[in-house]
Amino acid sequence: MDAIQQAFVVESQELLQQMEDNLLQMEEGQGDPDTINAIFRAVHTIKGSAGVIECTFVVGFAHVLENVLDKMRAGEIQPSTGLVELLLACTDHLRTLVGCVEGEATPDEETAKASHDLRQKLQGFLGVPPVTAGKTMPTEAESEVQASGGGMMETDNWHISLRFGRDVLRKGMDPASFIRYLMELGEIINLTTLPDALPDASEMDPESCYLGFEISYKSDADKARIESVFDFVRDDCIVHIWPPHSRLADFIAAIEQLPEDTMRLGEILVKCGALTPKELELALSAQLAASASVLEASGNEAQASPAAHPRLGEVLVNQGAVAPEVVEAAAVKQVKVAEKKSLEARLIRVQAEKLDQLIDLVGELVIAGASANLLAQRSGEEALVEATSVMSRLVEEIRNSALQLRMVQIGETFQRFQRVVRDTSKELGKEIDLVISGGEAELDKSVVEKIGDPLMHLVRNAIDHGIELPEVRVASGKPPRGTLKFNAYHESNSIVIEIIDDGAGLNKEKIIRKARERGIISESQTLGDSEIYALIFEPGFSTAEKVTNLSGRGVGLDVVKRNITALRGNVEVESQLGQGSTFRIRLPLTLAIIDGFLVGVGKSTYVIPLDSVVECLELTAEDRAIAGRNNYINLRGEVLPFLRLRDQFEIADPGGKRENIVVVEYAGQKVGLVVDELRGEFQTVIKPLSSIFRNIKGIGGSTILGTGEVALILDVQSLVTFVSSQQFRRDKTELVRV
Amino acid sequence: MKTIMLVDDSATILLSMSTILTKAGFAVEKASSAEEGLARFQSGLKPDLLITDLNMPGMNGIEFIKEVRKLPTHRFMPILFLTTESQQSKRDEAKAAGASGWLVKPVSADQLLGTIKLVMK
Amino acid sequence: MAKNDAGVRRLVIEEDMTIYTAKAQKELLLNALGDSEELDLDLSQVGEMDTAGFQLLLLIKREAGKAGKKVCLSAHSKAVTEMLDLYNMAAFFGDPMVIPAEKHTSRR
Repeated sequence: MDAIQQAFVVESQELLQQMEDNLLQMEEGQGDPDTINAIFRAVHTIKGSAGVIECTFVVGFAHVLENVLDKMRAGEIQPSTGLVELLLACTDHLRTLVGCVEGEATPDEETAKASHDLRQKLQGFLGVPPVTAGKTMPTEAESEVQASGGGMMETDNWHISLRFGRDVLRKGMDPASFIRYLMELGEIINLTTLPDALPDASEMDPESCYLGFEISYKSDADKARIESVFDFVRDDCIVHIWPPHSRLADFIAAIEQLPEDTMRLGEILVKCGALTPKELELALSAQLAASASVLEASGNEAQASPAAHPRLGEVLVNQGAVAPEVVEAAAVKQVKVAEKKSLEARLIRVQAEKLDQLIDLVGELVIAGASANLLAQRSGEEALVEATSVMSRLVEEIRNSALQLRMVQIGETFQRFQRVVRDTSKELGKEIDLVISGGEAELDKSVVEKIGDPLMHLVRNAIDHGIELPEVRVASGKPPRGTLKFNAYHESNSIVIEIIDDGAGLNKEKIIRKARERGIISESQTLGDSEIYALIFEPGFSTAEKVTNLSGRGVGLDVVKRNITALRGNVEVESQLGQGSTFRIRLPLTLAIIDGFLVGVGKSTYVIPLDSVVECLELTAEDRAIAGRNNYINLRGEVLPFLRLRDQFEIADPGGKRENIVVVEYAGQKVGLVVDELRGEFQTVIKPLSSIFRNIKGIGGSTILGTGEVALILDVQSLVTFVSSQQFRRDKTELVRV
Repeated sequence: MKTIMLVDDSATILLSMSTILTKAGFAVEKASSAEEGLARFQSGLKPDLLITDLNMPGMNGIEFIKEVRKLPTHRFMPILFLTTESQQSKRDEAKAAGASGWLVKPVSADQLLGTIKLVMK
Repeated sequence: MAKNDAGVRRLVIEEDMTIYTAKAQKELLLNALGDSEELDLDLSQVGEMDTAGFQLLLLIKREAGKAGKKVCLSAHSKAVTEMLDLYNMAAFFGDPMVIPAEKHTSRR
């Protein structure tokens, strides 16, 4: 795919999304002219762009769709449920077609058939008999070449009569350009400029054009080609083009219509070589006969003076009725539109790659800055330390701004689910409203891209298993329409996304039963509420008794959890039987850079993401004695399990006498990480791990320190999970022992 | 070198048009909205030709060229519409607003460059 | 701008003659013609001429004829010569066109 095709695909996908949102709005009865206009514009732009990349299958389909939308815009077709349904189907179909462009394929038979079927349906709304496949674009009827036969002109040259319209100059054009262009297309044998129309000085508007031209012309170009030169002044100007040997009668009839005195014009034409003197004589006698008949018919009143001839150009201009301006109804709306306009104007489109590159560079800058800082501090030179600290602060601001560039609002992702909710609930015979809040919460684009699938799964899950059928709901005293809520908010460097339904809720007993059946937990195991709910994310778990074609496709919620975990996020569920469930996803705002806390174990340095650090304390000899083999301490009355990084990463050196404990928290669970040294805060860029480290549990990435040394970044989530499961196992054994 | 200003909300059109025009030896300026285009004109950019889309979000092409025709320095600039719209009433409206010409997308490079020759002074 | 005793006035057009300047130049030219018997237009400084500018030349020539006065074009710049040639109107004005050497010196 070349760059233009790529741009087309990206742009079309965006437009289709907007179109779908607007159609859904329309379905809810908000089909104001703005919405219809926006839909029209989307299709219009797609069609235009598709034409540029010469993608005929998109152009053809979009064309018919555009026609229908145009009629809707004009109020000739009223939106109905059926029509909106069809338009949504067309949106999907366009998406498929754009997909073909992306895959550099032509539509297969099935797609082509779908195109045809949808087009037929659209034609139905246009009130046009359905066309057979293949014929898509209306072709303009070729204007008939001047009929030839009898009384031909003798000249071998073309003849062109031009009378430019008054407004030509004001519209930014110049007759000189047309004549120059003709010179490129052929040879001007003779050109006569007619200044006759130039009025008296007092009436002459210097910005109006008064000129006419008679041109004798030699060219190998065909009539259509020469005519096309004047295509877009045709409305304002009088243009006559006569191929060599045109019918004399036609020619004479035409020059009689020109504003100048026929006699004078005739002389000019003879001089031009367009007419022979004999032809002129013939013409003039014909004219005399004509005016005589006019005089006869109208008595003495009217004099058929040449000036009385209507000027075609002027008539045409007058005919160009200006569509009445659409008057905005309410002042409030005007303000809104204006605001939207200014907002749109302030946006620029940037390639995502360029941003990524910038963020990469900023990352390097952060590291370089840290290095300079370190050296400055070592040097002990106060001025230098001062200077580097100022620089560090600026670098930090640059980093924040750079990351901010890649931040997008979650709302757009949420909106995409309107359609899913609508279609899915319809399919299942359920009635569901989607309520969105917190759409303005921002997160990194790279995270947004990856969160779509997990969200989709959770939404389908909620519609399929959560919200009940209307009858069931009414029977349990709930309104028949269920509500699905999307909510998002920021919480200490994370974004929290909630999917809340007011459905049946999770049935704990059912979950336990199933988990036991599947051998996920043992018969004797007793679990707290959150542990029970967490079971639904276990591989091989599915609570649906009947497998529907929606969520029961053999892909369980475990995949959701795995995807979210891969983003350094987590998912949890809260539920109230009969009242509904809340799925809560927690994600880092960005995947690129983290604020870290440096710790040392032996000679190695590790980075703990700062947002997960709760506190640091010394692991006293006393604590150690109490902890013994069990690896937990009493933290102000709470049991705090801990993990020695030295053990975890199998560091051979025995270490010093002193040990510190860094308390980290993930998803409400606290765990202590035991290290030798606390080295302070450090801002760092996450580099992907090389393959050697990928299998080590508890490592999330690596980074380069200011000293050039590589430090591993701890994956706190997996460490916390690991420690808790250890703890859990231990509790279990203790229980058994008791 | 003659300068052509392109105004279109479609990145595809901007990219493809500027490729053709640059190859043909024109300097190309681009704006993705009428508002942006107008702002550039107001701040002094004076191209030899403006090629603009008709249907754009925000200010549409017609409103746009009406504004351009109000600028003393740009009043008589050649303006071409490049649009998929082929309705006569729209064309008339564009004409009345001061458009020099009208091209229906898609245009071939030949057609485009030919038209440019016609309108550019 | 100079005027000799015989009522011949020499007017140097010091800018382009295009649609942007046409309104002002129409007044300028008509006024100049109004208070002279013979108008000599120096077009050496006209860097650009379009059809609007050309029409002004037509107008002033014709107005002079009506009033029994005379207008001569002199020191045509390249832009002016090109325009007159394109419209095949050099003969209409009937002024001697400058030869290249003069053209060279008269242009900036």
